[in-house]
Amino acid sequence: MQAILNLSALGVYMHGVFVSITLGLPLAMISFLYLYMKTGDETYMKATKLATVVLSINFALGAITGTLVEFGLLTVWPGTLLVVASTALAPLALELIAFTMEVALLILFIVTLGRVSAGKSIGILAAYWAFALFSGILITAVNSWQQAPWGVGPIAKALYPYMPEYGPLAMDAQKLVALKIIALASGESLQAILQGAGVAETIGIVLNDPFIILKSPYAWVSIAHNLLAAIIVGASIALLGWAYRYYATGNPYYIKLLAAIIVPLLALSLVQPTIVGHEMAVQVVKYNPTKWALIEGAEKTKYSPIKALLAYGDPNHPIYGLDHYAKQCEEYKVTVREVALSVGVDEKMLRDLGSKLGLQLDGRLDAVLNTQVRDLCLADLEKARERMDKVHYAYYLKIGSAVTGVIATVALAAMLVRIPVLSPIVSFAESIIYRLFSFVNRRSLVLLLAALIAFGFATTSVLGWYVREVGRKPWTVYGLVYPEEVVSVVDYATSPAFVAFAAFLILAINLSGVAALVFVASRADEISESVKKIIETIRSGAE
Amino acid sequence: MGISLIVHVGLVSVTLGTGLITAIYRYLAYKNNDIYLETFARRAFRLLAVTELFSGVWGTVITVVMAGFFTGLFAMFANVLFTPIVIALIGIMIRIPAIAAFWYTWGRIDPFRHSILGFVMALSGFMIPLGFRALMSDITVPTAIGSFLDNRPFGAFDAYFSSLYWNLYLHTVLAVISVGGFMVVSIMALDGDAKGVKIAAPYAFIPLMLQFVIGPLYLLQLHFEAPYVFNALVRVDQLLQGSGGLFTPAFAVKVISALALLWIGTKIYSDAKKGVINPYAKYGGFLAIFVAVAGEIVNSGSRYPYMVVLDSGGKRIEEYFNYYINIGDVFPAVVVILLFLVLSLVVFTVAAYYALIRKFVA
Repeated sequence: MQAILNLSALGVYMHGVFVSITLGLPLAMISFLYLYMKTGDETYMKATKLATVVLSINFALGAITGTLVEFGLLTVWPGTLLVVASTALAPLALELIAFTMEVALLILFIVTLGRVSAGKSIGILAAYWAFALFSGILITAVNSWQQAPWGVGPIAKALYPYMPEYGPLAMDAQKLVALKIIALASGESLQAILQGAGVAETIGIVLNDPFIILKSPYAWVSIAHNLLAAIIVGASIALLGWAYRYYATGNPYYIKLLAAIIVPLLALSLVQPTIVGHEMAVQVVKYNPTKWALIEGAEKTKYSPIKALLAYGDPNHPIYGLDHYAKQCEEYKVTVREVALSVGVDEKMLRDLGSKLGLQLDGRLDAVLNTQVRDLCLADLEKARERMDKVHYAYYLKIGSAVTGVIATVALAAMLVRIPVLSPIVSFAESIIYRLFSFVNRRSLVLLLAALIAFGFATTSVLGWYVREVGRKPWTVYGLVYPEEVVSVVDYATSPAFVAFAAFLILAINLSGVAALVFVASRADEISESVKKIIETIRSGAE
Repeated sequence: MGISLIVHVGLVSVTLGTGLITAIYRYLAYKNNDIYLETFARRAFRLLAVTELFSGVWGTVITVVMAGFFTGLFAMFANVLFTPIVIALIGIMIRIPAIAAFWYTWGRIDPFRHSILGFVMALSGFMIPLGFRALMSDITVPTAIGSFLDNRPFGAFDAYFSSLYWNLYLHTVLAVISVGGFMVVSIMALDGDAKGVKIAAPYAFIPLMLQFVIGPLYLLQLHFEAPYVFNALVRVDQLLQGSGGLFTPAFAVKVISALALLWIGTKIYSDAKKGVINPYAKYGGFLAIFVAVAGEIVNSGSRYPYMVVLDSGGKRIEEYFNYYINIGDVFPAVVVILLFLVLSLVVFTVAAYYALIRKFVA
């Protein structure tokens, strides 16, 4: 199970690299086109054309890895189809708008760049970017539902007393609870149930508000946080690319490009941690109690005035540890049967539904119904605790790399653009560095800062996703569904050989994709020549 | 799902066919040291490059629609036909990077290696229907799905033991080569390049002629193995009595348009051999796409009202439909989505026009 979880994570991470560039590069390109429109300086158009080649290759790679992730998730975790068909249906269907328009507009941008005015190109690119962001909004909303299942109201709380309520009850609690119990009692995964003909009609409506996912406060904060992070990472990678060119050639032309990127990057990197990141943490505290305890390494409840002030707005508020939640579990002396009855599900109903779905429940149903919820609650806390060290250190490493990235952004911005007060200070620091380290010059310092920005923010993003995903375990849908319940019934889909093969394929495609991007980006002049040659060949062939 | 399948099939027919033609002529250009053939290959490839990503997107549209609206079907495919899906996915994973690598390394690596890359690019494309066509064939004449529905054990490759599958796959391969050929003919004709038309014409015409052998064989096979589908396509008497034959008009349109294409193809081919561009050559590509799309409509539509056709009728579409939400609640969103999908087609057509007709290249 862990191997297949790791495989999915690998696929998603690799896709994330290309998504970040897809979202971040247009920021740089719009800046270039705007400056080209204002100044007529061909430098900016040349840079836009190179960025367009990189963006198009990157987009193709993003589309392939996205297809792999999409199919991978649905075929290896087909139990999630119930989510796709209910809560995630509206966002995923709307995502089709985003994806098709994104591709169509990107192709239009590529073929018309340099042939229509810069203003029109900005318009097409901005429209493309808007749809790319729209896609990111919808996918993040779906992921956020797995983190905080908005619309299930008190269902999770019925199983875990320390859980909050997740918005209004927009789902049919009876059916969800019945399905969960039937799956446990039959020993079948959700796929084995969902794949039967007529099953959906037998189960009937499980969700009353198909847009509930988009009404979650957790989702909207996550959207702002994740998209901003992706834009920052993408723009930082572009910045590093041009900083390397500046370092390698010393051509001041690259300084102009770096200045065009660093200003919006500085603004975004200041907003992200201070406003959006803070709000994200507040949402985690509110809706992911175990994740918050893991982040803080709180096996036992503790006090930390500064963190408590930031998290709760009250310095005296305790930071609850897993011990606090374990105590609540201990005191929760109900059986699964009583939980089921509390939402109106009795044994007869379960047997009837099981029979309609063609499942054998037999004696296991009694065993499941008589299970003490306390045992389940404690066992899951223990599973969460096993991940505490990893999540805790990953989170603080993430904070450290974010701080590094922000400091480097401020410093580079002050070097490249005139910022009152800050630029003279950085200039003074620069002179000291040159004096102390004779091997450092302006070119290497620019490269170093750009590298700190790119690696700082990329590490922050990778670790942030790690904390988000691992921190929600042992559940696939927080407080409701385990990975084992949604995994494929196909034996070899989870076999070591298949996982190894899929991992090889993912790594091969992604690493060669990254290599191709670096290769293309580092051969700007060759690319221009190549594009010219292709055009000439096409035209001469046509004549 | 029907709309997305139609658009997808129309576009992938172009990309798979032009991919093969590109690879062949890139190799011949190297072997004969012929600059013209290399230019020809580049121009065929341009068609592929413009179409590939957009066609792939419509594959994603099909996936989302199937998973979201035909959840039970997807869950069953993900179990019973897991292997064909994986084969198709591997094809996609190889195909798109191979296209990017083929484009970028053209003129940068030695031509022989580049030619090999071209064949990897072209043949990986044919791996995609090698996988996905198993899904279509297995719901028309269930083999693996048949075992599954009868609660019998089934093997990972059972779908490939269906004779209908191989006929359908061959039918598909010939169709995409022919569509690719006709599209290249059209582009060459629009450029006024008689030599290009002459080179591309056999790729359009010969597979089309073979289709007139494979097609009737496929129909005959349906007669024996999927009589319901056969009746839906040819039983005009049932249509008149209101008891079946629902797709006879569509099938008739398909056959007539295929015959028209054959007639045009014959003219184009014979004129091309004389070095003359037939006036119809410009439009052959579009008619070929129409025939491919019509073929897909009759092929998939003739199962209606069943999703899986069985001897005694079948599993009805609604048995796999999504009843987990009230679909009426998302209907306005579905309408908006459809409008945007149409808009994306318009934007793509404008882009393709600028790229292929006006020859705008950034």
